[in-house]
Amino acid sequence: MMAESPTLYDGENYDSMTVAQFEERLPELFATGDGKVSEDARFANFLAANPDCAALVKDLEVIAAHAKSLFEPVHEPSDDVWANIASKLTAAEDETVH
Amino acid sequence: MYLEGNYGMQTKPTPGLFKRNPPIAGEAEAIERAKNGDPDAFSKLYALHKRRVYTLCLRMLGNVSEAEDMTQEAFLHLFRKLGSFRGESAFSTWLHRLTVNLVLMHLRKKGLNLVSLEETINPSEDDAPKRDFGSRDTQLAGSVDRVTLERAVASLPPGYRMVFVLHDVEGFEHNEIATMLECSTGNSKSQLHKARLKLRELLRQQELMAIAGFGKEGA
Repeated sequence: MMAESPTLYDGENYDSMTVAQFEERLPELFATGDGKVSEDARFANFLAANPDCAALVKDLEVIAAHAKSLFEPVHEPSDDVWANIASKLTAAEDETVH
Repeated sequence: MYLEGNYGMQTKPTPGLFKRNPPIAGEAEAIERAKNGDPDAFSKLYALHKRRVYTLCLRMLGNVSEAEDMTQEAFLHLFRKLGSFRGESAFSTWLHRLTVNLVLMHLRKKGLNLVSLEETINPSEDDAPKRDFGSRDTQLAGSVDRVTLERAVASLPPGYRMVFVLHDVEGFEHNEIATMLECSTGNSKSQLHKARLKLRELLRQQELMAIAGFGKEGA
């Protein structure tokens, strides 16, 4: 069983967080609010002092934003799929009638 | 005889409940007619939703043949269950949830029920994302094109791919995913984070290959 992400407390001093503590909190940080960690004033000082963390946060935000573009489908099932559905529905209808 | 019609899709964004899956022109009427057994109306629903349902199955299963089988199952299930659709959520959302549950049931039948999904969806150490902190020159070049991202998502370990597709692509909330996958919301959040980390790793590899002169087709 995996442990829940650590709870964030109001008033916690985020400036003095270690990179490891930040890493531990990231899943929860992205899951709360609008997930825009890079624009959250609470972490501005920490991210300014830790450019690798800032780069990581930006990248994860880019990935999450671009994922939405995948919602519109590009793949199409073959015509066989509908042919099979239609045939099964027709067979079921025939069974009901007879 | 059930014929597949050729129907155009028109979407009109509406706020709130339907923001991710806005109603499609003609859909409500087709649903009501299909509920009353009109075969043409059901074929219209298929035409309107086949791509999204199939794409969802394909992303979750990573296999064309299985994805087509599950698309077929999803629409047959829809035909049987359509009468229970009350319009409390967007039809697409309802259909996608029905599809996700069928795919998960299919995966469990294939053996994923041997251990809990919570453990099963955790990939091996080899597949897990590497720690990124401390490395230099780590940021992605900027925008990520759709084809590259689609390819990277397809190469994610199944557990990561599942949570990423459900949350970031389909727009399900962590509590919904937790219910569907029978895991905790904390686990869903953690898996999503690892999925994004792994995608970052994969996208950076593809960027490096592109810089080194490898064609995208060969990547």
